[in-house]
Amino acid sequence: MIKDRCQAIARSKWFLPLFSLALGGVVLLASWLGGQLGAGVYGLVVLAVFGLVLMLLGGRSETIRGLTTGRDERFAQIDLRATAVAGLVLITAVIVAWLVEIARGHSGNPYGWLGALGGLAYILAVAFFRWRG
Amino acid sequence: MKNQVRELRTRRGLAQGQLAEAMGVSRQTINSIENDRYTPSLPLALALARYFGVTVEEMFDDQGSLPGDRSL
Repeated sequence: MIKDRCQAIARSKWFLPLFSLALGGVVLLASWLGGQLGAGVYGLVVLAVFGLVLMLLGGRSETIRGLTTGRDERFAQIDLRATAVAGLVLITAVIVAWLVEIARGHSGNPYGWLGALGGLAYILAVAFFRWRG
Repeated sequence: MKNQVRELRTRRGLAQGQLAEAMGVSRQTINSIENDRYTPSLPLALALARYFGVTVEEMFDDQGSLPGDRSL
């Protein structure tokens, strides 16, 4: 029931623009707290335009529609693979940055913590999905 | 995986979009299945077979695409 409701919300054409706008609001708040209001406003505008463009193109592009509101099993698989590739790129970059920081004589943080978090999340996810079957 | 989806669809005079709508997937997904670029899930394969009134084995040819004892 809750899962169906969540999926219905995520499939709404307003989800991505509103999510982008909300993320922009969070960026604005964080920047304001950090004393960089200008950068926050810029981030908000970029994310708002990104969400708007995706919503407008979604009406024309079947690919964008598939990856946002009209996701079927093939697009879900594409999304899963793309997420795996992005995760692999990210964890590689984190490990390289960690090694570079160590080579410079620094502690390697926060990259060490990020790498450890990624590795732990992977192990827990494998254990969970193995248990779930 | 080789399949008969295109043949069965055209025999019924259906467009890819019409079949996609009936199956609840995108037109691109039907196109990918027909061109052997995407192997559908078991529920979708069953739904396609039921829709065309054939068995899954009649619709999909798994010869050479499964690991193990297919060559025995």
